[in-house]
Amino acid sequence: MGGIVLANQYIHVGSITNAMRGRRLLEAQGIRAYLHRTSHPAEGDGCGYSLLVTGQAQRAEQILRSGGVRVVRISDAL
Amino acid sequence: MIYWDNAATTWPKPASVRAAVGQALVRYGANPGRAGHDMAMATGQEVYTCREELAEFFGLKDPTGVVFTLNCTAGLNTVIRGLLEEGGRALTSDLEHNAVRRPLAALSARYPRYDTAAWSPDEDETVEHFRRAIRPDTRLLVCTHASNVFGVTLPIRKLARLAHDHGLLFCVDAAQSAGVLPVDMEADGIDYLCVAPHKGLYAPMGTGLLLCRERDKIPPLVRGGTGSYSVQAVQPPDLPDRLESGTPNTAGICGIRAGLRFVREKGRERIYAHEIALLQRVYDRLASHPGIRVYTPRPAVGRTAPVLSLNVVGLPSEQTAALLNEQGIAVRAGLHCAPLAHTRFGTMPQGTVRLAPSAFSTPQEVKKIGDIFSKIAKKSLHSGKNMI
Repeated sequence: MGGIVLANQYIHVGSITNAMRGRRLLEAQGIRAYLHRTSHPAEGDGCGYSLLVTGQAQRAEQILRSGGVRVVRISDAL
Repeated sequence: MIYWDNAATTWPKPASVRAAVGQALVRYGANPGRAGHDMAMATGQEVYTCREELAEFFGLKDPTGVVFTLNCTAGLNTVIRGLLEEGGRALTSDLEHNAVRRPLAALSARYPRYDTAAWSPDEDETVEHFRRAIRPDTRLLVCTHASNVFGVTLPIRKLARLAHDHGLLFCVDAAQSAGVLPVDMEADGIDYLCVAPHKGLYAPMGTGLLLCRERDKIPPLVRGGTGSYSVQAVQPPDLPDRLESGTPNTAGICGIRAGLRFVREKGRERIYAHEIALLQRVYDRLASHPGIRVYTPRPAVGRTAPVLSLNVVGLPSEQTAALLNEQGIAVRAGLHCAPLAHTRFGTMPQGTVRLAPSAFSTPQEVKKIGDIFSKIAKKSLHSGKNMI
């Protein structure tokens, strides 16, 4: 009965340009990412943009960092 | 009107550019990068796509290094003041526009902060002049790609190599060349490229580009809202946000994108060859005229930008331009904000009449310009005046 549940996670990347660049990098590696306005910014961040990915946040983070996109933090999608 | 003042700004703008600017106010009317609603996201996407296409066109790997500025001058100021305000010297050419010369002069209020190397028709000689002018505290080599007055070019790839061999950063003022001459930041070794998209890219005025291959060394001249990291009092370090505070000119950016598409569809090389061919006709008709003095070498693909400078013997350049205007021909006369170049070519203080065609210019226009120049020159010769 119990299948594998893939977690939805937000990768917070700050600006919309970072988010769009990040989405392109992830798409090129076969990871689908959805661009969102960050709805619950951390206290130190303020407003910004995030990429929503399903189940591959760590790999996505690695791709983003190696592509020069600053990852602020990762949080679970509620 | 015959408009040959395209070195100042291209006109007419393509119908696709006019449509894109108008449509931007309807479809992309929201502030990009500030909100999460659909129109803001669509506008953000349009702006980012423009960055991607510009990066690809100019050979820049990372599109986040494409910074939208008020104009080319703003980009040059950002680089020059950002890199040199704390110290160090610049090295530049003797063909520069005031967009380079004045920021350097302002830095030199207390002591000289820049050196000037002479352009030569021989590329290697030019490079040698630059090499000899490098000092221990030289930090930046900044120069025009093509003279906005005489069309002659600087060997940017060779100068980039020289700069990097000496640990200097290399900035190119491509106001007159972008969209016309080939520019590839990676292949050419350009660290910073400043572009006037309202010229060779047929975008609206009030637009500019600073493309950064070197991403970390320039602090912002202007600080403010970026839509990102808003709790922090310091400017975000990421490009383009670090150098792009405040609401961008989205209608202008949509115009840049449409203009770039126009140039790509027509073919940059084809447009360039067309403009040079027109100027060759002008040159061949007027250069041997006893009443006309042409200062630009015969225009040639790969050697010059499509700009030609001349004077009617005996007439101040501004007077010639006024006579041309009476006949419906729009050109620019005087010093073209580039007194250094005029000094180099011996045309100070009277300046020159500058002819600059565009993709829309025609051989019929060349004929009319040639006829009217000949008529003015004949009249001037017969009047026997020698006013310049």
